[in-house]
Amino acid sequence: MEEISGEEVLNISVCVVVSNLSILQCIQSIIGEESYRQDTVNQWTAKIVEQALTLLVKQTKSYKYIVSCAVMQKSGAGLHTANSCYWDTVTDGSCTVKWENRTMYCVVSVFAVSLTP
Amino acid sequence: MSDLAKEKAARLLKKRGSVSSLGSHDVRAKETGGKTKDSISTVSYIDEPGHHDDNPRPAVQMENTFQLAPHRRFPVLTVNDILKDVLASYLQEEKYEAELCRQMTKTISEVIKARVKDLMVPRYKIIVLISIGQLSDQNMRIGSRCLWDSSNDTFSSHSFKNSSLFAVANVYAVYFE
Repeated sequence: MEEISGEEVLNISVCVVVSNLSILQCIQSIIGEESYRQDTVNQWTAKIVEQALTLLVKQTKSYKYIVSCAVMQKSGAGLHTANSCYWDTVTDGSCTVKWENRTMYCVVSVFAVSLTP
Repeated sequence: MSDLAKEKAARLLKKRGSVSSLGSHDVRAKETGGKTKDSISTVSYIDEPGHHDDNPRPAVQMENTFQLAPHRRFPVLTVNDILKDVLASYLQEEKYEAELCRQMTKTISEVIKARVKDLMVPRYKIIVLISIGQLSDQNMRIGSRCLWDSSNDTFSSHSFKNSSLFAVANVYAVYFE
């Protein structure tokens, strides 16, 4: 039932290479086996976001990062997400990863904004 | 369906001469009864006048501005009002429908970005993130964390709810050194 998107790379000309795969692995390690639980979902989102951020910081490029994570219980309801960005498309970029298991959906968006032109 | 949004974005581009990227992702409910209808629909496209891949931009030498901090800070409260206004006006009477909401998320994110740009806050890069979902028995948590300069960078957030749907809008403003 797991649908994993292909290995895409952030479309940034500078080599900020954070593949979807590494973020997927990060999500998998934190909530891979879990069922949705309201009392722990808070911790999960915090952990996912922190781990994703640490992964990015290890790249040691001069970028500012924004990581956003949404975890939703599966109940037949639909969800749409969109983003719109005003930035320098040569140096900045974003990447969105969708993950699901039997009881929940997880959507993680990463935005990287360059500090130098 | 994506043409309408593309046209709108193209019009915005022509007017403002800006470069913007628009991306969206949908999570649709799985249909019960055997066959798993694919629950991923990923539509992302980029509107820009030219391709940056073709001619790599020569490294730009910038002169020193000797400016340590923004002259004008990002007006968070004004943007809060913009978000309230846009979400209420677009979604007040709407019922959740998959097609409608897919278009709506893209449109709303473009509209919010355009209005924030109209504020003309110099040297700020804008990121708008919209989520629209159906109200049912589910629970949901949205969190975000940012690695930035907290003295200059900021965000604004607003959530909206009516009888059949909810919407969450986040605007991040990053100062460009």
